Amino acid sequence: METGVVTGILNSTIALIFTWVAYKTGSYIYKYTPYSYPNARISAMEAKMLNSQKFNELAESRTLQNFVVNLEDTQYRDYLSGLSEYSVEEIERALEKSLAGTYEMLYKMLPKRSRDVFRLLLEEWDVRNIAAVVKAKLRGEPAIDYVSEIGLLLPKVKAMAEAKSMEEILVILEGTPYEEPFRKLILGEITASQFETELYRLYYGRLLDYALSRKGDEKTILLEFLRMKVDRLNIVTALRAKAAGMSAEEIRSLLLSGGSVDLEGVIRVDDVGMALAELDSTRYGKVIREVREELERNFGVLERALDEYILQRMVEVSRFYPLSIAAPIVYVLKKEREIKKLRAIVKLIADGVEPERIKEMIGDLA
Amino acid sequence: MFKPEEMVKIEVITLNRFKDALLTYLHESGVVEIREVNVESVQKDSPNEYHRKAASYSITISRIADFLGSYRKSSGGGIKAFIFPREKKKREYRYEGIEKLIKDVEDFLSVVEPEVKSAEGKISSIQSEMERLRDEIRVLEMLSLLDIEVEYLRHSGLVEVAVGFVEKPKFLPMVEELKKATENRVALVHREVSDGVLVALAFLKRDYSRVNSVLAKYSFEKVEVPEGRGRPRELIKEYAQKLEAKEKELDAIKKEVEKMAELYYDDVVFYRELVENERDKASVLPMLARTNMTFAITGWVPRIEVQKVLEGIRALTGGKAYINIREPSEGEVDEIPIKLKNPGWARPFEMLTEMYGVPKYNEIDPTPILAFTYSFFFGFMLTDFLYGLIIGIVAALLVIGHKKFNDGTYKFAYTLLWSAVFTMVMGVLFGSYFGNALDVVLQHISGDPNAQAWRIIDPLREPLPVLLAALAIGLIHLFIGYTAGFIVRWKNGDVKGAVLEQLPWMLVITGIVLFALERLSMLEVSLDLPAKAVFGAGLVLFAAGEVINNGGLAALMIISDFFGFVGTWLSYARLMALALATGGIAMVINVLVGMVWGIKFLYIGPIIGLIIFFGGQLFSTAINALGAFVHSLRLHYVEFFGTFYSGEGKPFEPFKSRREVSKLELKADGGV
Amino acid sequence: MDPIVYVSLGAALAAGIAGVASAFGVGVAGAAAAGVVAEDEKNFRSALILEGLPMTQSIYGLITLFLILLSSGIIGGGFKFADATTDNIIKSVILMGAGLTVGLTGLSAIPQGIIASAGIGAVAKNPKTFTQGVIFAAMAETMAIFGLVGALIMIATGVGF
Repeated sequence: METGVVTGILNSTIALIFTWVAYKTGSYIYKYTPYSYPNARISAMEAKMLNSQKFNELAESRTLQNFVVNLEDTQYRDYLSGLSEYSVEEIERALEKSLAGTYEMLYKMLPKRSRDVFRLLLEEWDVRNIAAVVKAKLRGEPAIDYVSEIGLLLPKVKAMAEAKSMEEILVILEGTPYEEPFRKLILGEITASQFETELYRLYYGRLLDYALSRKGDEKTILLEFLRMKVDRLNIVTALRAKAAGMSAEEIRSLLLSGGSVDLEGVIRVDDVGMALAELDSTRYGKVIREVREELERNFGVLERALDEYILQRMVEVSRFYPLSIAAPIVYVLKKEREIKKLRAIVKLIADGVEPERIKEMIGDLA
Repeated sequence: MFKPEEMVKIEVITLNRFKDALLTYLHESGVVEIREVNVESVQKDSPNEYHRKAASYSITISRIADFLGSYRKSSGGGIKAFIFPREKKKREYRYEGIEKLIKDVEDFLSVVEPEVKSAEGKISSIQSEMERLRDEIRVLEMLSLLDIEVEYLRHSGLVEVAVGFVEKPKFLPMVEELKKATENRVALVHREVSDGVLVALAFLKRDYSRVNSVLAKYSFEKVEVPEGRGRPRELIKEYAQKLEAKEKELDAIKKEVEKMAELYYDDVVFYRELVENERDKASVLPMLARTNMTFAITGWVPRIEVQKVLEGIRALTGGKAYINIREPSEGEVDEIPIKLKNPGWARPFEMLTEMYGVPKYNEIDPTPILAFTYSFFFGFMLTDFLYGLIIGIVAALLVIGHKKFNDGTYKFAYTLLWSAVFTMVMGVLFGSYFGNALDVVLQHISGDPNAQAWRIIDPLREPLPVLLAALAIGLIHLFIGYTAGFIVRWKNGDVKGAVLEQLPWMLVITGIVLFALERLSMLEVSLDLPAKAVFGAGLVLFAAGEVINNGGLAALMIISDFFGFVGTWLSYARLMALALATGGIAMVINVLVGMVWGIKFLYIGPIIGLIIFFGGQLFSTAINALGAFVHSLRLHYVEFFGTFYSGEGKPFEPFKSRREVSKLELKADGGV
Repeated sequence: MDPIVYVSLGAALAAGIAGVASAFGVGVAGAAAAGVVAEDEKNFRSALILEGLPMTQSIYGLITLFLILLSSGIIGGGFKFADATTDNIIKSVILMGAGLTVGLTGLSAIPQGIIASAGIGAVAKNPKTFTQGVIFAAMAETMAIFGLVGALIMIATGVGF
């Protein structure tokens, strides 16, 4: 062969290799760099989360004032310093604010391409708040008692709680995604529980759309997470409905789409026991079996077990993808769990429950 | 050496009334690792009211200590305090039971806590007041755009006034809708600001609810209008004065707290240590078993401490105790805690072993080997007499300053000192003094362009012999590892494992060495045949081992494990690469200095040259020492330990008090 | 091409690619270090050491640059391969190859930075994992070290000083 040809082949090979290396390097950097800061900071924050010893100490508080003092060397300090009185409501509100603060901080730290998920997750509280306020209004109870101090639409929710008529509430909701179902509700086209389902359906629809519009690992991780969330909601709804003796048709209308397990078999069977048997072959079979005994009396146990399952699964995912959106999601889940426990302790202390008993009960909550 | 400390199990049953004293004695002597008493259907002990108090006081006192600590004038500090820290004075405390201790703490807290709490409360209330004033000033600044008296903006009654922000695009539709909702009974003033529109609107009280829902719809952010009268601009001045007054108040209180800190800080730290130790002591209670009259405790003790512990317990209980000392049983081997035992010169290197994990009770403790090879590898990779000298001096100072504490700094400095000695030796062998700086100076003085310091080889010019040396060292290192593994496995009865997993590589390495000797023709006789025989035997044994262990996958594993071995071996090439890197950087610095040295104007050349020289060499020392440290450790953790060491033992964690500023006077020590 | 082009390309690519890679590596790890220090200043020392690890590749690049310049005579004397004879071209291409080897293997600084970043996070959560984090990060450097060894052999045996 001529030298020219050889040089040509060599040159193009080198060019090819260089392009490939540059592309690979670039995508590597693009993929991991944005998560370096937030995920390192998040693991430092996880180190500061309350451990079981701290929970034991909190359980020993006996008074709400001591409880607050015991939390003063933790990250909750800033939120608790502004308490006007040591009451259950005030403390709960402060804890809710700190959870909202966590979402907000994660939103600020994470890269633009995936951070909106935390805004969306925060919106779940809006959905809960709106549903709670509307239901309270329908029952004629003071709605403000049902508002959690967290959510993107919090000012609107509060205004809703203050509003005197359904029309005023409609005005407030105008322009938000929740306007349509509310309109149907006041026209009498749907019931209050269908309204709630509708809210969740809208909400999860947006979450799933968001996840589907992501790329690569982010899409995989978010979808995995959201599917489990949808499953959790569906399983609990289906079992509750089954226990209440609703028909398959009715139950089907309450379920959301987008989950990872098919619940068709579950809603067709006759009673809860058979429904549970149907669920046994799914990925949740193991967790459900573990709480089986208590479950028939109390579906809250199942919710907690499924939450724990989601958390553990996300921890696994975050080990697999250390520099990804999984670690922040795990952090938020852990934080939610921690705050749930703290709220439980606050209530138990206020009720004057003995420390030993509190320790037992929060141990069960884990 | 090579074996961890021998451990025996101790079991004590004695009367409940000795419990506190016994636990305190064990806690202070710190030689027993307490384990759970494993008897079915026996009640476990639990913390009593005093232990709970200790826990809650320790939080309170910690908080006081943190608070006072942040106001304490710092004394000393700096490099001197780092190298030669002063020993803190230990204050004696006469221990007469936890009840008395808690009472003493309560007495102390009853004096200090209210004072500190009130000061803390004052500071935080002033600070939040200041924060509020600042917020209001900000609001007023915003409101000054409207230039309307604030009392009107706050108006409420028949006519309500609301002030707030709304996003620009939402402003017009909001106004429209407001007018519609109130049938035009609304008046407003607005100013555009950077990110939105500032609106003040007045409406009738009876329209309140309707207006409110419209405002909520457009996410109208209400502003709390500050107290006071007059135009915002004048009011700002008033607020600024208030702010200043608060600031003075704050300063005064801070001074007070500083005095308080001086008065109480040492006491607070002393009591904190007392209660924290009580809290720690209480943590073993759930491991004890108890009956109405007696309690039982069990744990591991190093054999050499047994006599002392026995005497202590007997003196304490006046002999009213059942004590049983026994050898660990066969099934307990995995449970025995490991305390490394080495002669004084190797003891600080235990830190490096512990960082990876301690050996199991029946395994070899690699610390003595590691003490030598780690320092040697470090020296090989740094290879510069003067770098070694710098590190050696720093390390020696730290060793002297920290010897009495026997802390992490001391251990690390000690390992560094050894490493520095090897660095200097290797530096002399390779003729490296700040790289080629000495050569340059020699050439300059003697005028001979080829003048050089003495050396056996110049690694930069002839890297190949250095590479071969590095690989040879690697072979020796691996051989030691495989041999150690072989001995341990053989001794522990795992003959099959020893023969199939360690022996093949020992043979292969021997074969390689024989080949090398043959090639270098160092010996008279031909080694070709024995080399091939040994090497072949090794390979066959290795392949046989893979087939026995992995069955069907053997073919794959043979390939991957064989190249794994080659990779492990080649990994020792880093010895040479890092040695060259040190010389290289030093040379780069020297060349740079040589370039600027020539500038004669105002001696700029030599001045900048010296700065570059010393700055650069110090930087190079630091970065290369880091590299040598990391890679020397890596060669041990990954390559060397990979050949035989599990590091899966459980480290000995004695039940031990932490005393920095306090010292207990106990009955068992002769107190009454 | 002229020998000088090969030689200077080799030197530039060795220091350039390895340097850029080190910069990215240190950058990624540095972001993580800033994150953990923002939460707790106690993390500073371990974060600093982990952050510094991906720096070595740029040093290997720099050394190779100097060795190339030294062996081609650009430092200390004059350029030895000025004439485009076959022998000179071969030698200068070898030098370029050596530079490329170090430059490309120096890319290992980027994954090393990512490992260090994850390590910094892990240390913040559990300080005991520091050594393991360092060792994990040091694993990625092996390729760069092999590259440097290869380049040194190429320069010393193929060209000499």
